[in-house]
Amino acid sequence: MPRYIEPQEAISTPPVQLVRTTTHRQLPILNASHHPQTSPITPTKPTTFTMASEKKPSLGSAMVIGGCGFLGHHVVRLLLRDYTTTSISVIDLRCTRNRRPESDGVKYYEADITDADKLISVFSEARPDVVNVDGTAAVIKACQTTGVKALVYTSSASVMSDNKSDLINADERWPTVRGENQTEYYSETKVCDTMVLYHMINIYRQGRTGVQVGNNNNLFDFTYVENVAHGHLLAARALLLTSQSSTIPLDHERVDGEAFLVTNDSPVYFWDFCRAIWAAAGSPLGTDHVRVLPRGVGMVLGFLSECFFAAIGKPPTFNRQRIVYSCMTRYYDISKAKKRLGYKPLISLDEGVRRSVKWTLEQEKVNAEKK
Amino acid sequence: MGAAQQIAYFLLHPNELRSIVQWKVWHEPVHRRDASKETPTEKSCFHYLKLTSRSFSAVIQELNPELLMPICLFYLVLRGLDTIEDDMTLDIKEKEPLLRDFHNIMEQDGWTFDKSGPNEKDRELLVHFDDIIFELKKVKKPYYAIIKDITEKMGNGMADYALNAEHNNVGVGTIKEYELYCHYVAGLVGEGLTRLFVESNLANPQLLVRMDLTESMGQFLQKVNIIRDVHEDWLDKRRFWPREIWSKYVDNWDDLFAPANREKALQCSSEMVLNGLKHAEECLFYMAGIRDQSVFNFVAIPQSMAIATLDLVFRNPAIFERNIKITKGDACQLMIESTQNLRVVCDVFRKYARRIHKKNDPRDPNFLAISAQCGKIEQFIETIFPTQDPNKVRAGLKQEEPKMDGLETFYLVLSAFATFVLIGVMMVGIAWYFGARFDQVFKGIDTKLAGTVTSSVAAVTSVVHEEL
Repeated sequence: MPRYIEPQEAISTPPVQLVRTTTHRQLPILNASHHPQTSPITPTKPTTFTMASEKKPSLGSAMVIGGCGFLGHHVVRLLLRDYTTTSISVIDLRCTRNRRPESDGVKYYEADITDADKLISVFSEARPDVVNVDGTAAVIKACQTTGVKALVYTSSASVMSDNKSDLINADERWPTVRGENQTEYYSETKVCDTMVLYHMINIYRQGRTGVQVGNNNNLFDFTYVENVAHGHLLAARALLLTSQSSTIPLDHERVDGEAFLVTNDSPVYFWDFCRAIWAAAGSPLGTDHVRVLPRGVGMVLGFLSECFFAAIGKPPTFNRQRIVYSCMTRYYDISKAKKRLGYKPLISLDEGVRRSVKWTLEQEKVNAEKK
Repeated sequence: MGAAQQIAYFLLHPNELRSIVQWKVWHEPVHRRDASKETPTEKSCFHYLKLTSRSFSAVIQELNPELLMPICLFYLVLRGLDTIEDDMTLDIKEKEPLLRDFHNIMEQDGWTFDKSGPNEKDRELLVHFDDIIFELKKVKKPYYAIIKDITEKMGNGMADYALNAEHNNVGVGTIKEYELYCHYVAGLVGEGLTRLFVESNLANPQLLVRMDLTESMGQFLQKVNIIRDVHEDWLDKRRFWPREIWSKYVDNWDDLFAPANREKALQCSSEMVLNGLKHAEECLFYMAGIRDQSVFNFVAIPQSMAIATLDLVFRNPAIFERNIKITKGDACQLMIESTQNLRVVCDVFRKYARRIHKKNDPRDPNFLAISAQCGKIEQFIETIFPTQDPNKVRAGLKQEEPKMDGLETFYLVLSAFATFVLIGVMMVGIAWYFGARFDQVFKGIDTKLAGTVTSSVAAVTSVVHEEL
């Protein structure tokens, strides 16, 4: 049944049109070359049009804050591939990693985004229409003073999860978790996402694919990073259209001041996802060798492991949090992004897993050669 | 199955026996047709209904009286059409005009047809078709118009397929052609039924706007039948699985049935199952639009049977060896669960989606896509009947108290353990203080353990002494 979606936390700060996209568990990938066939775009009526090279939508002057980061450099890549822009600029603390080649004409500025004065000076120089950000109040201030038309702010779906309670088909109406209820915030959102895959592949290498904790009926959302980047740019485009339009959009159509969840729109069973990764990494095994460990037993073992490691004074390699995590249900209803932004994942989960595993294995090889 | 075998089977599967008994004894139809008030021609129609249909006869007879006769006649007309189409003894020159003109033939008083081949199982229906025509004249105008319209479309579709040499000789090519075929044999029937339901005000008129939902209902049933009957159709030299799918796994259609290619064949069948499974959510959505209990039962029973059959055929090598069917006990259980409400039918769909996902094999190229499709079904059910309410989740968060971390828990357990040790030591100490002879206790243990050694040594030495 379609549900009416209330605008959550209207944080519009005129004249800047602001949208917050909330993403979830990104899978890493580099150098993808995918050409979207169709991509619905206008925020008011999601009509479909082909992103042929001559009809790429325009985003004016675009800025990506954190554009050398994991998600950021994908946003830059899609900007170059799917949109026309008058200029693209990137602000990051360090601009050494993930740089585009000179020929792409991306301008890189090194700046600390908490430094309001520095930001304003960069903004006055770059003159962005659209800003894609991962940042703070200083950014909003800089946008306001320099007349930026659209700002897309990145958050993580972890703001809705306390890492132990189930989230079943959650949408933007669900509450955000703050303060004490929120655990592992930073590690969860930034570090783990890129590390998870590496760990999973290691589990396969160590031959530990034969244990399943829980009944594997728990659905989980995983999101391929290019789809997240795509969601950001759709939001930016929709905001620009809103700012150009003379009428105020209807409540159920508006994009400015709204939060959007973006996933691959394809929840899968937690252990199925692990097995798909193992299969992509070359595992020849099915499920005949798998033993099911009930959640309760897993919790006891996790507790014993924690006690043991506490006694010898080391951080535990195996703990109850991991058991909880592998038995947890966490998936989202992204109807709002589909309806208002015309969002549709560009890369299927299947393809995302293949590319991500390939990328991780290649990265490993590169790192091994360096050593 | 012999009687003894059957008894043995039910002894091992008591739940199935229970379902059968429960259905036979306790099932109370919403409407029961009253044979005492029926005319001879009406009775004759139900006679042919029972004769020609195993699965639909019962549910049709329990339909709301408003639609009882129209749907019974709709079924018989299509069955008559089907009998002509199936008949290989009829020359195409005679067959084609019959098929294309059947919607007019069914208006000719007293029309009967006795040229069907002797082996046609439903030839009797055509021999006495005048009874059906007689009853058709009494059907309300709007219902009659729907029946006639669908008969015309279906007859023309059948004639086209009968003339289509490629279809008859090489079988279905692309997935698109496969779905078009399913549209002609099942989608059209669905269209007619939905129009009848809405016309009689027993279903939400919105279903006419979303005809894609009706299409999914028909596609789902037909695709499941095509997957299940693959072996039987292969023996009959008919092929409905599209080349676009099976050519990914084997070079020739017959290779699919070779035992050496079983794993490839299973992977092919799982792509077919995945293709069928994509209609499941829309089927549930359609059923949400039904307003009458008897109509709900009528549409829900075949759908539940279909998803259970998909679970049965999924990764089951038996489909390439013989014809398989869900057991009678399971069928009765499904009928019990499909004659209640949407929520129960959703539970059935979720249960079978999970069973399919449990059988899914990571080595299968369709593994993650099948997992995602099962997830989609679960997610769709969640949108109709949400388990979480955002307001309650919000309230729950506020009440939550800060929890301990691992180290704290460790200290807590350690201190509890230390307390036990301390109490134990104190008790022993107090007992000793009051004169308990622990030295005796330890001596006792000592003699019990070491004493055996000393005594045996003593025994040996005593023997030695005696000999001296």
